[in-house]
Amino acid sequence: MKLWTLTLSLMAGIKTTLLLFLIVIVLSLPLGFLVTLLLRSRNKPVRWISTAFVYVVRGTPLLLQLMFLYLGLPFIPVIGEYLTFSRWTAALLGFTINYAAYFAEIFRGGLLAVDKGQYEAAQVLGLSRRQTIAKVVLPQMIRVVLPSVTNESVTLVKDTSLLYAVSVPDLLHFTKTTVSRTADPTAFVVAGVIYLLMNTVLTLLFKKLEQKYDY
Amino acid sequence: MPMIEIRQLKKSFRSLEVLRDISFSVERGDVIAVIGSSGSGKSTLLRCLINLESIDGGTVLVDGDPLIQDGVYASPGEVRAITMRMGMVFQSFNLFPHLSVRKNLTMPLVSVQKADPEKADARALELLKKVGLADRADEMPNHLSGGQKQRVAIARALMLNPEIMLFDEPTSALDPQLTGEVLSVMRQLAGEHMTMIVVTHEMSFARDVASRVLYMDGGEIVEAGTPDEVLKHPKNPRTAGFLGSAFA
Repeated sequence: MKLWTLTLSLMAGIKTTLLLFLIVIVLSLPLGFLVTLLLRSRNKPVRWISTAFVYVVRGTPLLLQLMFLYLGLPFIPVIGEYLTFSRWTAALLGFTINYAAYFAEIFRGGLLAVDKGQYEAAQVLGLSRRQTIAKVVLPQMIRVVLPSVTNESVTLVKDTSLLYAVSVPDLLHFTKTTVSRTADPTAFVVAGVIYLLMNTVLTLLFKKLEQKYDY
Repeated sequence: MPMIEIRQLKKSFRSLEVLRDISFSVERGDVIAVIGSSGSGKSTLLRCLINLESIDGGTVLVDGDPLIQDGVYASPGEVRAITMRMGMVFQSFNLFPHLSVRKNLTMPLVSVQKADPEKADARALELLKKVGLADRADEMPNHLSGGQKQRVAIARALMLNPEIMLFDEPTSALDPQLTGEVLSVMRQLAGEHMTMIVVTHEMSFARDVASRVLYMDGGEIVEAGTPDEVLKHPKNPRTAGFLGSAFA
């Protein structure tokens, strides 16, 4: 009974955490693939900019990026006032950009795994570049990258706790306040179990996908 | 008018000249076997014809239409239209591993030519029957033997109704006991008067099926003629030397 009451008191945080996870996954996966295509663009400046983007975003802490977006941008002279985001928007932006950069690198690796002969076969069969990507390359890339994408998604579930840094009340926030209020550490254990559950469901879903793409 | 006419074709990879001054023509229904040691430029020649490699100079006419005229390519649309009249079979099959045999055949037709899926499917089954694999239509490529994969690849190339078939060492990746089934499909095609250019190490195929044999070495056609002329009575000592070592 006590555990159930505890869980209920964390419910608002669970919702926030899940919502952030879902929005970020849905946005960062396609954005990441777009960045992958830019990384391989024939246009040099496009390639440089996208490479620099991935370099900076992967090379600096997500926590720093979140704080920069929420607390840092507004202080930029002149344009700062237009770059003032709500905590929630700044968090969505930061997480999405960060994960897109990671996914872009994962996808780039996946593309390298697609044999050159596949592109040649597609060409001689008359497929356009776009058709080649959609019908030949993507399905093969997805199979290669799924394990890494699973791994990254599990990390995202845990990384949602960084919302704490920009004071968006997530699961961890509610857990901490509950522990302070009740002077009882049980809520920490409950929160841990909830994160575990989320990742279990996620891993199972990805396993199903992997089976679907197994050929 | 020759089906394919090639004049003074030149191609280099950086400073390495892989094709120097290649000229020959292919008549409709010809089966040309291109033989030669590796590095002689024979695969590159084939790949240039279907625009997988770009050339540095020369002329290629397909049924009179210029693919390349004096080193200048036709417009991308024309290049595509001309290369689509050729089918290509690769040494490493290059089947799409994520699609069933049936889908390997129908996907290009349905996505590129917007063919009716049912008609494409019927045609796929017909061609699979022709290569003896109608019962494997729903297998994934990875469950097939090498010889079966190559026969599927041939059927796939035929789906688009090519006037010319290019074969780039179609049996070189196969175990010796599996080459026969692929060669017999190719024999059948030759019997139906398909125009074919076959880069091959299979001397028996060159001897029995080809209407003409080209021997290439160092990026040039050293000797060309009927199988009897080139294989049995080579005039050039380089041809004789190659044949000596090939049969040894």
